[in-house]
Amino acid sequence: MMLRLDKRDFKKFLEDLMEEFDLYAPASLVEGVSVFKKIDNPEEVNLTPTLTQKPAKETFFPQSEPMFNYKTEGHKSQMKSLDEIKRERILLGARPCDIEAISIIEKVFLSEPYTDVYFLEKRKKTTLIGLGCNQPLSTCFCTSAGGGPFLRMGSDIFLIDLGGAYSVELLTEKGRLFGKNRFLKEALPEDKRQIKELEKRAFEKIGVSIPVDGIEKRLDLMTESSFWDRVHEKCVGCRICTYLCPTCHCFDIVDEGDHARGQRVRNWDSCLSSLYSLETSGHNPRPTTRERVRQRLMHKFNYFPKIFNRVACVGCGRCIQYCPVHFDIRQAIIWTSSKRPSELKT
Amino acid sequence: MDERLKKIQEKIREKSKELLSKKRVDLIIGFSNWTLPLRTTPVFIRTPEGTESLIWNSFCENNLATYIHKFNRFRVGIVVKGCDARSLTALSLEKRFNPDGIFLIGVPCQRMVDRRKVARAVKGEIIRVEERGEELLVEGEEFKTVLEKRDFLYPSCQVCIHRTPSQAHFLADDPVEEFPLVETHPEVDVFEKKPPEERWRYFESETSRCIRCYACRQVCPMCYCTECFVECLRPKWIEGGLNPQDLQFYHIVRAYHQTGRCSGCGACERACPMDIPLTYLTQKLNQDVKELFGFEVGLDSKTPPPLSTYEVEDKGDFIK
Amino acid sequence: MENNWEPKILAFLCNWCSYAGADLAGTSRIQYPPNIRVIRVPCSGRINPLFILKALQSGIDGVLVSGCHPGDCHYLSGNYIGRRKSATLKRFLEYIGIEEGRVQFSWVSAAEGGKFSQLVYEVTEEIKRLGPAKRFVKNRV
Repeated sequence: MMLRLDKRDFKKFLEDLMEEFDLYAPASLVEGVSVFKKIDNPEEVNLTPTLTQKPAKETFFPQSEPMFNYKTEGHKSQMKSLDEIKRERILLGARPCDIEAISIIEKVFLSEPYTDVYFLEKRKKTTLIGLGCNQPLSTCFCTSAGGGPFLRMGSDIFLIDLGGAYSVELLTEKGRLFGKNRFLKEALPEDKRQIKELEKRAFEKIGVSIPVDGIEKRLDLMTESSFWDRVHEKCVGCRICTYLCPTCHCFDIVDEGDHARGQRVRNWDSCLSSLYSLETSGHNPRPTTRERVRQRLMHKFNYFPKIFNRVACVGCGRCIQYCPVHFDIRQAIIWTSSKRPSELKT
Repeated sequence: MDERLKKIQEKIREKSKELLSKKRVDLIIGFSNWTLPLRTTPVFIRTPEGTESLIWNSFCENNLATYIHKFNRFRVGIVVKGCDARSLTALSLEKRFNPDGIFLIGVPCQRMVDRRKVARAVKGEIIRVEERGEELLVEGEEFKTVLEKRDFLYPSCQVCIHRTPSQAHFLADDPVEEFPLVETHPEVDVFEKKPPEERWRYFESETSRCIRCYACRQVCPMCYCTECFVECLRPKWIEGGLNPQDLQFYHIVRAYHQTGRCSGCGACERACPMDIPLTYLTQKLNQDVKELFGFEVGLDSKTPPPLSTYEVEDKGDFIK
Repeated sequence: MENNWEPKILAFLCNWCSYAGADLAGTSRIQYPPNIRVIRVPCSGRINPLFILKALQSGIDGVLVSGCHPGDCHYLSGNYIGRRKSATLKRFLEYIGIEEGRVQFSWVSAAEGGKFSQLVYEVTEEIKRLGPAKRFVKNRV
């Protein structure tokens, strides 16, 4: 069902939503830096940048999340898990890559019989409003990674920026509940044509195809390849690619506090940190960036697809944009398909 | 200017080729172009033919000295700017590598361009950039503009007074004329004049964006501890999450650990994905170290690091 | 602001001089404000700047670091090294906006019981005027 929202009504539309829902949308922290956060004022919402720094996964899988609190008084101790979420939520303005990434993370967090209650509680109470990409970046390769700039799958409602208005497609039952909003008007006849134009242009812009297809099988043959001796060299072992990646989902659980009171917290972790695999004995099975970069690429393009039939990459390109030493994952993927992967252009 | 850059590039390639052919080094660490405009990437060349990919331009912003830790088992030739060479001198004082095992290919630096500042000055994604003397030709899908390079330099480069790596074994060009020596750092001066409340609010709000990615730490050549204070469990100084005071603690200590060691290269600030200003902290420490102990990092390989030594006449007027 | 607020001040005293000086104040029955909590360290040079930061983060209103006079260090040069660290740390903390006077340093010898008491009066007064620590204080879980 296709509707239209005039941009002049956008703020009021958001206010309407915020009456009933907690709204999570992209907001700028400073110029050029935006994240998904809970919106207190509709003025904060900024849908202009193609990509935020921190991905939408944060709304379901926060970087730091208390799991439960505990308190000891004398001999009595109490544990209190976190409160049930009272208000329903809306995630608005996530690009199709971020939305697709959520369904990838769901494969891990919501797979039976061990579902992650913290993730599930947030996910089932959230309506996803995706936003199409009119202006993919030169680093976007979603089309090679099983996605696309106007991929609607995963969104309950899909917005497309038409210039003076947004096209609003209500795609699921959850989405159709919003059909009665007073600011959503009937779509104009030319909207459909304009959308086709935008889609065509966006697909053309993304252009170059990265050989993600078949990478699982190629990597099967490369576990001990000397390819890894070269590909890791410039990596300094920070965590930017993993923290900004919409599909990366490793975490560490720590206890904070003392005998009297404290909490158990789940924090993001990164396989690129040297501590990640450091064992208590002092032995580290992944002692250098060689093993850790290999681990990251293998996890994304070999181990994960083996279990879940999909590569754990949506081609958003954040890792390319923000890596401090300009590691380009597309190049690494291309090299796996060159005839002699051990010889890299240096 | 781009004639000069081309000349430097040729000299870098020539020298690297020579070093590799004569087997004076096992590996050359330098810069190469990669996929994005306004950016270069560190490369690791092992063959004389491979040196053809080495380049030099105003986007060679990384401090390659940080790789010495990874490659200290090899004999390495490193392309260094003034700041990078000073980092290496500081590292050699701390005995982090065998001084016979490295060869510094020094480049008197023309100053590096702040790619984020350039990106903010245009509307739309930048597809292509060309350096033309003092100008930058910046092109996007729907725009083409010319910018004055000197308006878009990194803050740390704007005030740099050590652009020529005097300790280098080989200089790819004649030394450049340095800015006159200044007693105080301009950025620090401006900040210090603000009232304490305002300085705290600034520090608080800027560090609140931190995502604990540790890029600042990893790209810094002086941060090489196998166990960083953030990872220490006994005592546990800070937790692993995003508590604002923990973020402040991390940045205070990371900067403080650079006292007398930081060359002011700005790599930390350039690496930060959340645009947190960091050099205004380390530059204050550098300034104090110069004022209190007459020490400037990386200028000679004999003077010991200031916090590892003392003078009986050190100032102590702040002590009751 | 609460009129009954009393600052909590952490005092790192070097074992050989300042701690002995504080002890002398005690044995001589010289009074000084009860606001300080003493941590005995072998030498003022042992002070890791992280101690001071951790103290401030925990809500301590003021930190005092006291050692032997220059030339009198039991370990010969520990206090000299400590002096360099103290100077750079003090300036840095003030630069980022921690109020001047929250972190203080002194030389107190084992014979200076009187000086120690006076010092504690002085430091307590200064911290009282600064008010409770608010910047950089971490909320407990």
